[in-house]
Amino acid sequence: MLVERLRADETGEAMRRLYRLYGGELYGFTLNALGDRGTAEEIVQEVFLRAWRHAGRYDPGRAGVRTWLYQIARNAIIDSRRRAAVRPGLPQHEPSRDAEGGATLEQAMLGWQVAAALERLTPEHRQMIRMAQFRGLTMREIAEHTGLPLGTVKSRTWYALRSLRLVLEEMGVSPS
Amino acid sequence: MREELGAYILDALEPAEREAVAAHLAGCPSCTAEHARLAALPALLTHAEGLEIPAAPRAIEERLLDRIARERGAGRRRRLRHRGWIPAWGRGRALAVGALAGMALGVGATALVLREDSSAAPPVSYSVVLSGTGGASARAQLSPGHGGTEVHMWVQGLPPGGETVYEVRCERAGWSASAGSFRTDARGRAYVVLTTAARLGEYERIRVVRRSDTSDVLSGQLN
Repeated sequence: MLVERLRADETGEAMRRLYRLYGGELYGFTLNALGDRGTAEEIVQEVFLRAWRHAGRYDPGRAGVRTWLYQIARNAIIDSRRRAAVRPGLPQHEPSRDAEGGATLEQAMLGWQVAAALERLTPEHRQMIRMAQFRGLTMREIAEHTGLPLGTVKSRTWYALRSLRLVLEEMGVSPS
Repeated sequence: MREELGAYILDALEPAEREAVAAHLAGCPSCTAEHARLAALPALLTHAEGLEIPAAPRAIEERLLDRIARERGAGRRRRLRHRGWIPAWGRGRALAVGALAGMALGVGATALVLREDSSAAPPVSYSVVLSGTGGASARAQLSPGHGGTEVHMWVQGLPPGGETVYEVRCERAGWSASAGSFRTDARGRAYVVLTTAARLGEYERIRVVRRSDTSDVLSGQLN
């Protein structure tokens, strides 16, 4: 496994692969939570550095790699917010719903993982879900918009949802 | 009817179609079970609305790999020192003097001692010539600093510009420490100031590799 290879790998290839697999979504998650690119970059770097330092403690039986990295990122974001809170004059982060934004962060983590799951669908399946769920279009409207037969749109939507469910299960995200 | 379920779950059917699916579900355990497996997805998807996964910033990747290489090098140095394998500064100094002698005798050493201080502190700087294929060459000036080595490097003759990232490594048999990375300008040149946790005397050569595939680009021996 990639995480198990991190410490022994002298070439940096294992870390490079880990970063390229998860760096984008973790950066999106962190930037969204902190609102500052520079701070988000520092946090993401710190997340992967902590992962490298503590790779020996990672237990695949307890959480998937993605979940483990998100937990590290969540903790790093909370630490960053605490530091910013005691340093007046620094840019204020977006208001959160509880003292440290824990509940909001949990929702955001979920959102970014679902977004990552969508990215793993085929473009055709992703398109169906986006148009129906996010744009609120009916099957008939999607068929008109895309020029596809109505039956194809319905079929793709069905298989898109089934694929999404499978991807989420693989990622350890429970839809229920 | 089963393929209508996706649209039904996403509430994307016309009213009459929707009623037909609802009526079917009331009498079809199989479709009801399928519906139950997927019914939670729309609520989950609301969390992802408006989120676009950005590309992982390359700058973070480079800094991260540099940092890990340094920590790895520092850890290795501590372990080697503990075992007595790392030469003390006096031995590094002897290496520098040896390099000077090699140059004086015309033996072909490429490491030149630029200055030698008579104080007890490690004062010696090296100038190392690196050569590569296709006319690429570089000169590196190495001096003690920041608990390791400060590396000033002038590079020329590499492919111009682009996304290629080169990594500078300080190496001896069996181990390697990164000193950082650089890109070339539009003329295939670069001047960089880098630092590494590896100290003078702990490595025998400077090597520049292409970071994407770690292939050799330039290399120069210290002694």
